[in-house]
Amino acid sequence: MTDLAKGAEPAKDFTDGVISTALARDEIDPDEIGRQKPQKIGRWLRSRNMTVGIAGVFLFVLFSLITNTFLTMFNLVNMVRNVSLIGTVAVGMTLLFIAGEVDLSVGSVLGFLTIVFGGLTVGIGIDPWLTALLVILCGIGTGLLNGLIRTKLNIPSFIVTLAMLTAYRSLALIVSGDRPVSVDPTGTFYVVTGGTIFHIPFLILWMLAVTFVGGLVLSRTRFGYHVYATGGNLEASRDAGINTDQIKLAIFAITGGLCGLAAALLVGYLHVAEPTTGTGLEFLVIGAVVVGGAELTGGRGTMVGTLIGTLIIAIITGGMVLLGYSQGVADIATGILIIVVGTIDLLLRHAGARR
Amino acid sequence: MSSSHEPFLVARGLSKNFANVSALQGVDLDIFDDEILAVVGDNGAGKSTLIKILSGAHQPDHGEIRIDGKITRITDPLRARALGISTVYQNLALVDLRDVAANLYLGCEPVRWGWFIDRQAMLDGARKVLADLKVHIPSLTAEVGQLSGGQRQSIAIGRATSHRGRVIIMDEPTAALGVKESQKVLDLIIRLKEAGTAVLIISHNMRQVFTIADRIVVLRHGRNVGTRWRSETTPDEIVKLIVGIETGQGV
Repeated sequence: MTDLAKGAEPAKDFTDGVISTALARDEIDPDEIGRQKPQKIGRWLRSRNMTVGIAGVFLFVLFSLITNTFLTMFNLVNMVRNVSLIGTVAVGMTLLFIAGEVDLSVGSVLGFLTIVFGGLTVGIGIDPWLTALLVILCGIGTGLLNGLIRTKLNIPSFIVTLAMLTAYRSLALIVSGDRPVSVDPTGTFYVVTGGTIFHIPFLILWMLAVTFVGGLVLSRTRFGYHVYATGGNLEASRDAGINTDQIKLAIFAITGGLCGLAAALLVGYLHVAEPTTGTGLEFLVIGAVVVGGAELTGGRGTMVGTLIGTLIIAIITGGMVLLGYSQGVADIATGILIIVVGTIDLLLRHAGARR
Repeated sequence: MSSSHEPFLVARGLSKNFANVSALQGVDLDIFDDEILAVVGDNGAGKSTLIKILSGAHQPDHGEIRIDGKITRITDPLRARALGISTVYQNLALVDLRDVAANLYLGCEPVRWGWFIDRQAMLDGARKVLADLKVHIPSLTAEVGQLSGGQRQSIAIGRATSHRGRVIIMDEPTAALGVKESQKVLDLIIRLKEAGTAVLIISHNMRQVFTIADRIVVLRHGRNVGTRWRSETTPDEIVKLIVGIETGQGV
């Protein structure tokens, strides 16, 4: 903030104004603020991904040094594959965060949809490709339901999706009779979901593809611009003619659809549908999004950031497990990371706040 | 000059009630194509309600609006924009976390192939809009929330002018600004008028009103208690109309 003082120097008028002799109440020339601060903020925005990225590299090097097995192709591939479904669903969650919404039901919806997958393909004997399509459509349906309740009844998404978190989990348990269903993993479907190509798991490729498309939609399309606008200033967006309810409905549906895709990928990989699948997934997904720089207050976030957040969660979880800690301890570490990152963001925000 | 031709917009008998409060009671208003019209009045006089009706945010309970002589319903802000009425709200309605270009094109971003943002067209257009207003914003990719009050005001006005509207409504455009920045915004309003755009300005600042306005409409308790040419009135008379003291000139 101190370089604002430089603004006190006389600067070119921003109009070719008639009266520029009027004494300014404060001697800060607005031009200078405009000229300097965006660069500063821009640098900060770039550096936020950079800082988080460096923290990730630090953890990466740390785990590489203190364990023998971390820095192996086998472990690295496993590590990223383990978060690939988190990364896939996080694309939808990023859109929601940017629009100022949240979906706590993603884990339960994922669990419920794996049961639907198992029921359709094993119980009824539908082709797995068609099943996957139906499951994705079913996921879009769950998202639309969330979005409709959110927008038509005007209930905060936190409440709506919290209720759905319990509802879909219970539904999964009831429908499945609390028993897992095994699928017969023959056919190309199980190759392009659970298999590998050049030693790279398809799960990772799916995550990257979804993230790439999500990033393109978010940063390059009118829809993406309207998602940012909706979360950035709801009132102004409405006045500008943006149908904010429709935007919200669409991103809830996208998130639900991605849960469907994740469910199909998971069954394709595990060859089993379990009603408890995805328990606690919302924590890791939201963690990845928050570490990635999106904020629940809306208007902020990027797909690249979310991908970095997902990879950092992969490193922490993978490293901790290699060190002999349980998944539970790794989750505690992830929780601490989220709080640390959130605090740093808040401090930076206050430091960068306008006058 | 304005008196020689037909008004662009004619409003007659506008009334609006909120619950038991009568915000407007039969207000008449004319807007000509190349004038600066100031609407003044005390708090609660109905100024905000009036501009919300003109900008499509509220519907009047009674009364009619004619644009170019045709009875018109201004159903929503988009409709108002299509009719040539743009509004710069007091809160500016900017998305602070988005850049200058995105704010100038908020809700009407140029696209290629139906979906993808035409970023180049957006930057070129933004540059042109700001150049036409002779507003200097250092960076089109700066976050709007990081700009000064005057620059933010300029962007909000720029967005209104980019719709190629015939009248721009401004609600207290200088209320949040310092002396120097206020002057820049007033210069800008005068340039808009010179370019042929009508400006309806709401202001509490009598000195400002007398500096720039061609005509002054005074509202009091939801009624139009007087319309004066600036050249034929005095600040004293206007203040008396605002507070409701007889001036002997008849209302």
